[in-house]
Amino acid sequence: MTAQHPGADPGDGRGGKPGGAPGAGLGLGLGEDAPERTDEPAGALAGERRGRSAARLRAAIVAVAVALLVACPVWGGSGVRATLVLFSYYAALAVMWNRLAGYAGLVTFGQQLFIGVGGYTLAIACERFGVGVWPAFALTAVVCGVLAVPVGALTFRLKGGYFAVGSWLVSEVFRLLFGNSDYLGNASGLFIRQARSVDPWVVYYVAIALLVGMVALVVTALRSRLGLALMAIRDAEDAAASLGVHVWRVKLIAFVVAGAGTALAAALLTVQTPFIQPDAAFSIQWSAAASFMVVVGGLGTVEGPLLGAAVYVVLQQQLGGNGAVHLIVLGAVSVIMMLVEPRGIAGLFRDRLGWTLFPVARRPPRR
Amino acid sequence: MQLFETLFNGFLLGGLYGVIGLGLSITFGTMRVVQLAHGDLIVLAAYFLVTVLVPTGIPVLLAAAMVVPALFAVGWGLQRFVIQPSLGRGVLPPLIVTFGISTVLQNVLLLQATADARTLHSSLASAGVHIGGITVAAVRLVDFAVALLCLGLLLLLLGRTALGRALRATSDDPDTARLMGINPRRMYAAAAAIAAATGGVAGVLLAATSTFYPATGSEMLLIAFEVVVVGGLGSLTGTFLGGILLAMSQLLGARLFGPSYALVTGHLVVLVVLVFRPEGLLPRTAP
Repeated sequence: MTAQHPGADPGDGRGGKPGGAPGAGLGLGLGEDAPERTDEPAGALAGERRGRSAARLRAAIVAVAVALLVACPVWGGSGVRATLVLFSYYAALAVMWNRLAGYAGLVTFGQQLFIGVGGYTLAIACERFGVGVWPAFALTAVVCGVLAVPVGALTFRLKGGYFAVGSWLVSEVFRLLFGNSDYLGNASGLFIRQARSVDPWVVYYVAIALLVGMVALVVTALRSRLGLALMAIRDAEDAAASLGVHVWRVKLIAFVVAGAGTALAAALLTVQTPFIQPDAAFSIQWSAAASFMVVVGGLGTVEGPLLGAAVYVVLQQQLGGNGAVHLIVLGAVSVIMMLVEPRGIAGLFRDRLGWTLFPVARRPPRR
Repeated sequence: MQLFETLFNGFLLGGLYGVIGLGLSITFGTMRVVQLAHGDLIVLAAYFLVTVLVPTGIPVLLAAAMVVPALFAVGWGLQRFVIQPSLGRGVLPPLIVTFGISTVLQNVLLLQATADARTLHSSLASAGVHIGGITVAAVRLVDFAVALLCLGLLLLLLGRTALGRALRATSDDPDTARLMGINPRRMYAAAAAIAAATGGVAGVLLAATSTFYPATGSEMLLIAFEVVVVGGLGSLTGTFLGGILLAMSQLLGARLFGPSYALVTGHLVVLVVLVFRPEGLLPRTAP
């Protein structure tokens, strides 16, 4: 069992040892599609059986969680509702960041571009054109998805760390231009009057739907050809290209989806707030939050960003708002986590106990 | 004539921008790591000078000279104990680690020194020099001279010394360098320390030239990034030229569209360079 070899690379340990059939851990995470299974017909059959029951258990856990969220008015008050909206928002942000960094190998510190432009799209549509709140909400995904195409085309010219900072630079351009615009209310931004009359429970259900939709999208996408192509690029870009993966296009699709998804999350928060200011909307702190959640939760796993978002929201409520202490803790924990346990909480569960909730996860490359 | 004055001031300010970019260029050049905390190291140096050293009554020049070895030590320590353990596992870990250091530094400065604007008060800051009909801030002449000196020393260090040769060898091929008896970890620590020391120089010049806040660290990182990208990855001279182009664009933007457009004009020029010349002005030839 991998649990007995904390120091060993769990990836090797599983396939290499006799009797180390996949999922020999605690019998929950058997669904991981480990190719070693085919070497051993008997083990494979057993694995299939256990895999099926594990899949049922996983489906049950997810169903209960979703049912609890949907039934929130029954068991929770406005305090719970506010916390869960905040959780959904941060989780959506983290899921999208993870989709880029954990699956497409696109580490970025510029997703606040889509938070800002998404929020402003909603504000402009509502305040300047009189569009209803929810049509405007849907519009933000379209606008940011389209915006992601030229931004991606430009920033993909930079590699690795320079891409990360290059996307931040683009976001700065928008922050400065929006902050200088009379039409957008300069540095004081815009207030969305219509949004005051929106029922908070509607916001809540949109938030839950958004989160569930995003997780479902990520799980389906990762099980598709495109998902395989993404992970191939993340693990070895040149090798993927030589096998016929259209690297640039696959990355751009991921970037567009993440841009649109991030914009929806941001638009939702803007409906709830309901105002937007350039310095807050385009703040680098969103990237600090997103990377913290994904690193702590587990990079390249589906449940990781959800765990990370839960940790983040709890921390935020304990440490009070977005003060300096809060950010120091975020930064320090990210550094320590990256050095001590780079697989995050979800990776720890999966590798030590063989436990995973959404079996599409693949580890980030070690070495 | 006014336009020429703007451009000449931009040219001089470009020296400072070049120094800001040198550190990023060195760390990336040796270990392929984008040091996201470099801007905050610069601001840390400026705070160290203005809020710690100068109030003790040490002569300003001596205090400024003390900042550089202090930053050298900080850079070495960070590399040795925090950044080095994150290397060798792909692009993400060093980015998360250096970004985390950046967040921590910036907010510790915010707690310790508040968000008030600081600057090094000296007679140099307000003095102007008249050269052939145009007025130039004296401090910018000093910036440029120090920047040239800094670049010259680094080129000598990398090009003419045993340490420089070892650094370049590690940059080209760490495994082969190891076979030749070079310890790549020590080379990385040396490179990080030298990079942070250039950040110390940049911090002193920043303090003497303008006001700064804890959040200036992010601005410095973006300037460093722009300067390096425009100049061409891996070329120190290119970094310097990139600084000049960026500073000229910013001051020209401020002159043409108003002071609040300085930064954004600089950013846009960099993006245009990225569109038409993604390899930068002076890309290093293939290794």
